[in-house]
Amino acid sequence: MSTAVRRRVSPRQAQALVSVLLWAMMATTVLVLAFIIVFVLQRGLPHVTWEFLSQPPRASGREGGVWPIIVGTLAVTLFAVAIATPLGLGTAIYLTEFTRENRFTRMVRFGADSLAGVPSIIFGLFGFVFFVITLGFGWSILAGGLTLAFMVLPTVIRTSEEAIKAVPAGYREVALTLGATKWQSIVKVVLPSALPGIVTGVILGMGRSISETAAVIFTAGSSLSQVVPTSLFDGTRTLSVHFYQLAREGISAEKAYASAAVLVLSILVINVSAYTLMNRFIRRYR
Amino acid sequence: MNAPAKLEIRNLSVRYEDAPPVVRSVSLAIPRNFIYAFIGPAGSGKTSILRTINLLSIEVDRAKVEGEVRLDGVDLLTGKIDRARIRRKVPMVFATPQPLPRSIYENLVFGPRLAGVKQRARLDELVEKSLTAAQLWGEVKDRLHQSAFTLSGGQQQRLCIARAIALEPEVILLDEPCSGLDPISTLKIEEAMESLKERYTWLIVTNNTKQAARVSERTAFFLMGELVEDEPTERLFTAPRDSRTADYIEGRFG
Repeated sequence: MSTAVRRRVSPRQAQALVSVLLWAMMATTVLVLAFIIVFVLQRGLPHVTWEFLSQPPRASGREGGVWPIIVGTLAVTLFAVAIATPLGLGTAIYLTEFTRENRFTRMVRFGADSLAGVPSIIFGLFGFVFFVITLGFGWSILAGGLTLAFMVLPTVIRTSEEAIKAVPAGYREVALTLGATKWQSIVKVVLPSALPGIVTGVILGMGRSISETAAVIFTAGSSLSQVVPTSLFDGTRTLSVHFYQLAREGISAEKAYASAAVLVLSILVINVSAYTLMNRFIRRYR
Repeated sequence: MNAPAKLEIRNLSVRYEDAPPVVRSVSLAIPRNFIYAFIGPAGSGKTSILRTINLLSIEVDRAKVEGEVRLDGVDLLTGKIDRARIRRKVPMVFATPQPLPRSIYENLVFGPRLAGVKQRARLDELVEKSLTAAQLWGEVKDRLHQSAFTLSGGQQQRLCIARAIALEPEVILLDEPCSGLDPISTLKIEEAMESLKERYTWLIVTNNTKQAARVSERTAFFLMGELVEDEPTERLFTAPRDSRTADYIEGRFG
């Protein structure tokens, strides 16, 4: 009885209030996101011309375009993902399918989580000391890509792990009872079911790689090359480093925003195409 | 009952971790082309026995197992025979219908493909044969390439039975296959078992004593991991020797 008196908001009112509140939160998120994208594109897109996309930079980037930089950015990013995906996926498969939960797996997981929280400039420093100096790779796509690979590894491991764990245990047992070995059940049943989650992890990693500045400025370098990099040992400036230099040195605001627009658009293109590819693949597994 | 047993269990004990055994020294024999039922309350060890026969308890649940499980006289627990080969001979159908996330057709050819069958014509033939055997062909023959999840629960379970049949097995293990199904689906599954007795040996675990009475020729009653008694089904249900069996089938406990 007393509870009825004390209750100032009825459950029905609370329900209505909450749905308005949640809608407002969602709207704020979308608005902020849209604002950032519109802001960058509005300033950058008018300067993104065919010449900008296809020409090498001239006069420290005040003139010309970003073609070698686009190629370098993609090379560093793809190399990083090409290293991080198999390593991360393998680790995730081992942790979920080949060991039981114990002190060791908890330690690995804790390590991965800690690694994910390390600031990227620390990774840059590590990459500089280890890959650039000690291993003698110099400022290169190789050194930059490896550094980024280690930076995004925790993301790939943890998202893949969660995706694999979410596959119903029954699928594995069914595969086994139909004469599959453990490995066959993982390859033919578990991984296809976990694929959307795994791809999400890889895309998150790719997004972090392509937009990273601090870790690559120390490892891939920031030299402004006139020619497209052709070897893993070539140094390159990436789009975000280019943006940083143009803006910080006050070289050209127009070119800086144009680079930012290209960066934002390329992330968009990568995400959309990755999800499209994945959907085409998983249509067979429904 | 004098013919050599198709499947013989000798002094089988199963335990998980260091807990007390959930199956205690069980021995019984299942003749060829026979329907054999396990009944008993939850925790009586029936499912553990089933999962041990096709080695799932050892591989998945890390059970520690003692004793022998002999298929045509050959012990399956020695670790010398390839697990995949054993499971093709002794497949299992689970309590909840468990289609794999792919088409009806792909569900059925999953096992045969792993066993090395590649020709399309042979796979098509296996699909039709096994679906017909599981009394599902008529309902799905025009939509073999749709997702298996588009089927109803009862159809999904018959698909799982068809999937086991497509392996061309010898003994089929059913773990409470009808626990979530409507009476008509249950009837169809029982009819399928009946009509396929000439080809396979069936071992069914059921919580439904009436189902055991309907379909099986011999029934074993388990309690707390022990085999209380196993008798021809009619005798077990009309004149059980042990008072605990009588209590259970009359619904006084469990």
